Amino acid sequence: MQVGLHHYLVVSALLFSLGLLGVLARRNLLVIYMGLELMLNAANLALVAFSRYNANLNGQVMVFFIITVAAAEVAVGLSLIVALYRKRQSAHVEDLTSLKL
Amino acid sequence: MNYSLLTLEILVTLLGLGVLLAGLWVPAGARKLIGYGAATLVGVILTYAIGGASPADGTAFGGMFVVDAMSNFFKGFFLLAAVVVLLLSLDYADTLVGYAEYCALTLFALVGMLFAASANDFILLFVALELITITFYILVSFQRNRIASIEAGVKYLILGAVASGFMVFGTALIFGSANTTNFFEIAAKQAELTKSPLFLTGLLLTIVGLGFKIAAFPFQMWAPDVYQGAPSPTVAFLATGSKAAGFVLLLRIAFGVVPDLTAQWSRLFLGFGIVTILYGSLCAIPQRSVKRIMGYSSIANAGYLLLGIAAASLNGSAAVMTYLGGYIFTVLAAFAAISVVVAHTDSDDISAFAGLGQRSAWLATALTVGMVSLAGIPPLAGFFAKFYLLRAVAEHVMIDKAFLVALLVACVGVVISLYYYFGILRAAFFPRHAPDLAPIAVSSTAKLAIILAVAGTVYLGIEPEPMVKVAQQAAAGLKTLPEAPQTAAK
Repeated sequence: MQVGLHHYLVVSALLFSLGLLGVLARRNLLVIYMGLELMLNAANLALVAFSRYNANLNGQVMVFFIITVAAAEVAVGLSLIVALYRKRQSAHVEDLTSLKL
Repeated sequence: MNYSLLTLEILVTLLGLGVLLAGLWVPAGARKLIGYGAATLVGVILTYAIGGASPADGTAFGGMFVVDAMSNFFKGFFLLAAVVVLLLSLDYADTLVGYAEYCALTLFALVGMLFAASANDFILLFVALELITITFYILVSFQRNRIASIEAGVKYLILGAVASGFMVFGTALIFGSANTTNFFEIAAKQAELTKSPLFLTGLLLTIVGLGFKIAAFPFQMWAPDVYQGAPSPTVAFLATGSKAAGFVLLLRIAFGVVPDLTAQWSRLFLGFGIVTILYGSLCAIPQRSVKRIMGYSSIANAGYLLLGIAAASLNGSAAVMTYLGGYIFTVLAAFAAISVVVAHTDSDDISAFAGLGQRSAWLATALTVGMVSLAGIPPLAGFFAKFYLLRAVAEHVMIDKAFLVALLVACVGVVISLYYYFGILRAAFFPRHAPDLAPIAVSSTAKLAIILAVAGTVYLGIEPEPMVKVAQQAAAGLKTLPEAPQTAAK
């Protein structure tokens, strides 16, 4: 079987949906964060596949930007989760209830 | 490459780095000096930007970065918002641990906004938006001894990261179908691209990401919580700069990249605009926290602005820019008062504003001007903003009857908003309980911020024509730009 662009796109869409499902369904902030990373990397996979099959390297350049930005986002995000844990002794979304009407 | 096009961005970046370094050497007792210095220097850059020294139109980085009338229009407002925010942050210099970093991050967020105003490529759009969003994650949770601040930061982080996930995936699909990410090149072949489902999906996902930035329904969940929990100067910047950055990108994509599609999708924008107005207005009614009310108000205002985009006309996009200009001054005036009151009373409940009319004439003036202008009462900036916007919507009623519904909903939204804006003013001037009536001392920097914001709101209300003209030129420039596609660097 020849592996073509469509196969990569299907995998990428599946990864993206799995990531989104993780964000929506999981209750632990760290696991939610993994889901978010999965969403970004699904996009990276799609970009690299498009780049390969369209013979246009700009897509791979964009992947580098996304990886860098995602690293910055992880650094900030994890430090926020740690700060929250120190305050609340918990990293569960159910405990994020101090802001209400 | 013509580096003079990036003068403002380079200057603000250098200033941000300088502030970061200054934080190492300035002793803790004199940390306010950093805030004074940063605010003054951004003010100098602002006068440089307005004072005719703005570079001629052109592109840089192989067509990725564009300077045109619209980018210059918005950059002025971003710089102004940063000046006011830095002035307001001085009242918080003692409560924000690491004040120099706070100033530096505010400046880096400003750089992101300046780049967003000039973004002409989906890659730069993504990087600029992330620069804004990631710095705001930190700015929102900066009071890390307050659980509310951290909680707001985590909520902003999760929802913001989901939005960037959608945006990145959308960009990947756009790249796959168009084989380029440059706005001009995509605009040149939009006729065939808009038939491709891959491209349409990608565009929709990108608009979802922008919808989060502007807090439009159904991506508005974060706004009330973040507005309530974050430090007040941050909220002022979030409500003005961050929202305007989302709209400048939306305008550029909607009218610079796929104008034909925007006209077809006008009902989509209209529908989201209507729901956003109703959601923001109705949910604000029972609120007790003034900052939370401002969060819902910001959602409602995003709805009005979406109506202007739905109008898909020159007047519509000019009205969106006019609206944003007036809105930025108005919100800054309101937040100048809110920020000082919250710093003084450590509460953002409506009761903290009780008797403000007797406690401080400065704060009462700023709050009144802000709320009255937000409610859209003449002769303040908010009135003309809504007037031009609704006129652009009304012009479209002949073409599509759905716009009549939008017009009615907008009027209903304005009436509902009178209730909650004036609820705050009633508490300030006619308090029901006998509250603490001790005068509030307003610092000279806060006074300067109030003067800037109130003067702008009143001036744009009395004399809106000059800004409307500039906005119309900017909107016209947006439509003619795609005729000159750039050759990509191979």
